[in-house]
Amino acid sequence: MRLPTVRSIRALAVVTAALFAAAASLGAAPQSKKKGGGPETFNGKAKVATGTATGDAYFTIQIDHYTPEKDLKAMEQALQTGGSDGFVQALRKAPVAGHLKVGDKSFTIRWARQKPTEKGRVISIVTDAPVYFVGAGLPDAQSRAGFDVAVAQMNIDTSGLGEGSIALAAKVKPGGQAGVEIQDYASEPVKLVSIMRVIS
Amino acid sequence: MSVRALIASLIVAVPVALAGQSSKNTAPESFRANGQITGAAAGAATEMVFHIDKYTPDADHDALVKALKDGGNAAFLDALRKAPKVGTLTIGKRSIDIRWARTRPEGSDHRRVAFVTDKPAFFAGAGAVDAKPTAGYDLAAVEFTIDSVGLGSGTMAPAAKVKAGGPTGVEVDDYSGKRITLTTVTRNLKK
Repeated sequence: MRLPTVRSIRALAVVTAALFAAAASLGAAPQSKKKGGGPETFNGKAKVATGTATGDAYFTIQIDHYTPEKDLKAMEQALQTGGSDGFVQALRKAPVAGHLKVGDKSFTIRWARQKPTEKGRVISIVTDAPVYFVGAGLPDAQSRAGFDVAVAQMNIDTSGLGEGSIALAAKVKPGGQAGVEIQDYASEPVKLVSIMRVIS
Repeated sequence: MSVRALIASLIVAVPVALAGQSSKNTAPESFRANGQITGAAAGAATEMVFHIDKYTPDADHDALVKALKDGGNAAFLDALRKAPKVGTLTIGKRSIDIRWARTRPEGSDHRRVAFVTDKPAFFAGAGAVDAKPTAGYDLAAVEFTIDSVGLGSGTMAPAAKVKAGGPTGVEVDDYSGKRITLTTVTRNLKK
């Protein structure tokens, strides 16, 4: 049985921080009404490399609007009081914020937020279902149970270009220094490269 | 689910094509292969090593063919797992036993190599949220052509089941419905 590695959890610590710990600073800015707010679309490529294989996939992230602060707080509260299950339930009740598309498959984003940085902004999204279980094709693959969402973070510069990472199947748990831990099903992090904001 | 006559030369050609294996004994030998699979929006690649200690003798081969014809996939799998190990397929740190391997000349300076492992190597596409069950896909099958220099290409069903039928008498039903392309196969030089 292959278990998620500490490395995979650490790799997403940065996502965690952007998602939850920055809530206060983001809350001060009405996100979707500022320049760079939704609706907006990003195209890019997801890359994963393990010791034995590499994989690429093209994706599109369409953000209709960034999640209002009250909904973010409701989900954070649900996580702290109800754990992973509570978070997923709250997430699935939240309004649709956009879609993540890979090939002919579309996944609903119900958490989307952005935070300004020195070079642009960091955007975090959570889908209400897993996108893909990297490594599940191995005969001794671990159980998929509990990996109910996908979590991504993108660092976008002022010109609309960027990179990031994604846990295609993840479990959001309370704990750690930030109060939130993200456990990735994949043993290696999936990188998002060549991200480009679509000019509308 | 797609049924493909992937390894037509596998058991199919038993009496004719493979009955007379290459008179030149090339085993033990090993090959390095690059495998690729692509879809509309995604692709994956991996590197593998095939080590063949010996090619399956006719008696063992005949027993496998008879098992398939008489008892279908289940009997074939049972016979395969009882057959002596003749090599290994290695992907990263994982190795799977090869229990059937054949080679035969093809043209003036090529030969075809085919082998079957006693377990699946991996289930391509099984990471999809709506992936179908993996049960029943209990072996992997590989086929490639190699030239006299030691370069070649081929295909692989990394998780498959074998059944009797089709125009060749044997059909390989691969899990993903899409074969892995072995874009390059290189025979390793003997030290």
